[in-house]
Amino acid sequence: MNEETSHRPSELLAALKRAGVSVVVSVPDSWIGVFMDRIDEDPDMTLIRATHEEEALSISCGARLGGARTVLLIQNVGLLTTGAGMVCLAQRYQFPVLILASYRGSPRDPVFYHIPKGRATEPVLRAYGVSYSVAEADLPIGAQVERAATFAEEGSAPFVLLLDGEDIRW
Amino acid sequence: MSESRPTREAYYRVLADCVSNETLVVTSLGNASYVWSNVCDRAENFYLEDAMGLALPLALGLAVSQPRRRVVAVEGDGGLMMHLGTLITVGSVAPRNLTILLVNNNIHAASGGQPLTSTELDLAALARSAGIDGTEKVGSLDTFRTLLPPALADEGPTLLVLATEPDIPPVKPAFPMNPPMMKQRFMDAIGVPRYVPAMFRT
Repeated sequence: MNEETSHRPSELLAALKRAGVSVVVSVPDSWIGVFMDRIDEDPDMTLIRATHEEEALSISCGARLGGARTVLLIQNVGLLTTGAGMVCLAQRYQFPVLILASYRGSPRDPVFYHIPKGRATEPVLRAYGVSYSVAEADLPIGAQVERAATFAEEGSAPFVLLLDGEDIRW
Repeated sequence: MSESRPTREAYYRVLADCVSNETLVVTSLGNASYVWSNVCDRAENFYLEDAMGLALPLALGLAVSQPRRRVVAVEGDGGLMMHLGTLITVGSVAPRNLTILLVNNNIHAASGGQPLTSTELDLAALARSAGIDGTEKVGSLDTFRTLLPPALADEGPTLLVLATEPDIPPVKPAFPMNPPMMKQRFMDAIGVPRYVPAMFRT
């Protein structure tokens, strides 16, 4: 395995480009900050730096409404703050938005102040009725992103892929 | 004594005379959508029935992905206050094709007329401070008739703060609003593709 394919954030970015993602809307997290910069540097992608995750979700829906394939890139705490937009907009209007969320406070990220967010994340997603998966560390991340994007499109619904630091931290 | 402010419908009738087939209009919840559906229903309208505060960010995303069309966002002052940060994002992204019509009636009309948290904010000054230089205050239909055409034609983003008479009772929309069907009608009208038909991919 060469160095390029063993670097999971590079694989993830390549998968987004293969999928034709042209608009990425993001609110920062320390794990995703450099990844955001890589997107910002890419001539084929537009990065929109939003002020709040619910606002970012709505921007993503609008970009998809206009035909751009979009990704919402946030920390998992943003899944808690997007609640109203998730149910009243993304789900009610059936927007296929791929959401990539760093999974802070998971058992693999035992940072004390993230733990409450980690504990709430999956139950909240189930309460929303939003489909999701947790990225598997022993499988290529690119294929997992492609499946997640396909699920969102085929399901006409948001889909969340929860990412470990190894997946997204450049 | 100040003169009465124009109604939402009166502003909308001026807007209806100025939109072209290429113009995409996003309206926020309640009467913002219901009245517009009566005044000027068209496939290129995207009506929000709920999701308060999210019309402007949705229109921003639409403007980014449809750069050759003018996008008009009709947002209320109460809705804007729910996501005031969106003004900052609009100023930062600076889409040249986005025009914002901010209905300034100083109440939460869609929820029954409750007062806003503040009616003292200078919304136009906030917008300019966020980088939306093409911002003007409008207090009469004559002024709107003068300012709207350049606001729709000039390099944006542009924003008009419309001093508006409150309209609290819900107006019956022109038709029952089915969100997925309205979305599909809109996307069909502008030729937006569906991605990844997995079963029948060649």
